[in-house]
Amino acid sequence: MQPELKKPEESKKVDTSKPVRAVRKSCTADGVGLSHYILMDRKAK
Amino acid sequence: MLTTVHTPVGQPATAGRFCNTGYGPSLMPLDIGHPDWMAILGPETAFWSLVRRERLADALADPELLLESYRERRPEFQAEMDQLRFGLQPSAVYFNATDRCNLDCTYCYIPGDLRRHGAHMSGDQLLQALARLKEYFATSMGETTRKPRIIFHGAEPLLNRAAIFPGIDAFHDDFQFGIQTNSTLLDAEAIDFLTTRAVSIGLSLDGPEAAVTDRTRTAWNGDSVHAAVLRSLERLADYPALSVITTVTTANLDRLLPLVDLLHEMKVPACLLNPVRCTLPGARTVKPDDRALATALIAALERTHVLYRASGRKLIVANYANILLAILAPTARRLMCDISPCGGGRAFFAVAASGDLFPCSEFIGLEAFRGGNLFQDGIANALQSAPFKLVTGRDVERFAPCNTCAIRHYCGSPCPAEAHEMNGAMERTGAFCALYEELVRHAFRVIADGREGDFLWEGWDAGTTTLFAL
Repeated sequence: MQPELKKPEESKKVDTSKPVRAVRKSCTADGVGLSHYILMDRKAK
Repeated sequence: MLTTVHTPVGQPATAGRFCNTGYGPSLMPLDIGHPDWMAILGPETAFWSLVRRERLADALADPELLLESYRERRPEFQAEMDQLRFGLQPSAVYFNATDRCNLDCTYCYIPGDLRRHGAHMSGDQLLQALARLKEYFATSMGETTRKPRIIFHGAEPLLNRAAIFPGIDAFHDDFQFGIQTNSTLLDAEAIDFLTTRAVSIGLSLDGPEAAVTDRTRTAWNGDSVHAAVLRSLERLADYPALSVITTVTTANLDRLLPLVDLLHEMKVPACLLNPVRCTLPGARTVKPDDRALATALIAALERTHVLYRASGRKLIVANYANILLAILAPTARRLMCDISPCGGGRAFFAVAASGDLFPCSEFIGLEAFRGGNLFQDGIANALQSAPFKLVTGRDVERFAPCNTCAIRHYCGSPCPAEAHEMNGAMERTGAFCALYEELVRHAFRVIADGREGDFLWEGWDAGTTTLFAL
């Protein structure tokens, strides 16, 4: 059974006082999906 | 103000202090259609930033706002992109255990004659093939806890379940398995077999009702398969490793919103809303207009957001999520079509029922792209073959208009098969350039509004480190 779902929290607050925003994250690359298929090993919710 | 500059060898200390000239980095402004924010992109490293509209000139002129911090990290970003674009080894195989299919979809990339009269791989051959692949990956992937992936694909793989299922059982410790099926043969026994072995299952559905699905996906005799897919979705409602592929064409472009509603209602965790691949002529008969497609897809994406906000449950549109990932964390991308070179022949390759090797399943049926045979030539030789090199050598940095495009490493100009067959050469764009222009802009607007997490898998950034933050 799928667990009871809660309404999502508000989207994160954006700091509009900052003139420039940027984020870059990194990890080991292991993507192998293509337009005919995606491996589902991540949870949607 | 003159700030510290990492001076290239033999160059004066001021080299690189400006953007867009000399040794300075390329930083291109991009109007993303947001009232408050514009983007500044470093195209060659896939660097991005969002800048208040009224500060755009400052961001380009004042080194302390952006330029200096980017310049410091640029070599690291470049190295990361080089590794992602040129340094990967294959870790997955798209495995066609049969040439045959019981459907005759308008847009299929496998020629009709092969789907009707092709061969099954025997059970013994399939076991032998998996043994060879295991041996290859043991060398190519080196020391890793990650298992290589085998995805049974098609044609329709369940036509040859007699060979596939024993293969999954024999090698379940060695591979992570997946299957993409039209679901017409996905009976209760097959679902039980696959789900108890944690096989990732992809189904295909093109419409919210049979009248729409039937426009592009039917049996050879024209019989509808829509109801069979819905039955499978009901049976798989709580299965976390489920996804659905919808091929977006002129036949369903105006029905994407009710389709998204249906998939969400049926608790599908993720789908691909894929523009039809125009590799073969049949597919081009249902090719939608590029910008109309973008409008419809963005409306569908926003519908998934409304549904999430109302229910707390996400329907991830994976091909769009992948664009967000390409921006936020390039190495975290799940799909390898929208990067250049694409994943074909380097992150994965395809095996046909004969054992023939192709860079990607999209090339099965195009004899010129056969790189060898698994049983006769070996994998390493195929990966170095001229047909594979044609695909792995397709680099958006080397042809127009991609080589000057600011979003070239979020798009990758897919797909090489499409470019070659539809547009006449590898060094041409694929079928949907304008679509990516719009989707990338939408992705930046989503990021500007702080909504990106709503379109991504929970924990999407688990296992990542933050390289850069302003």
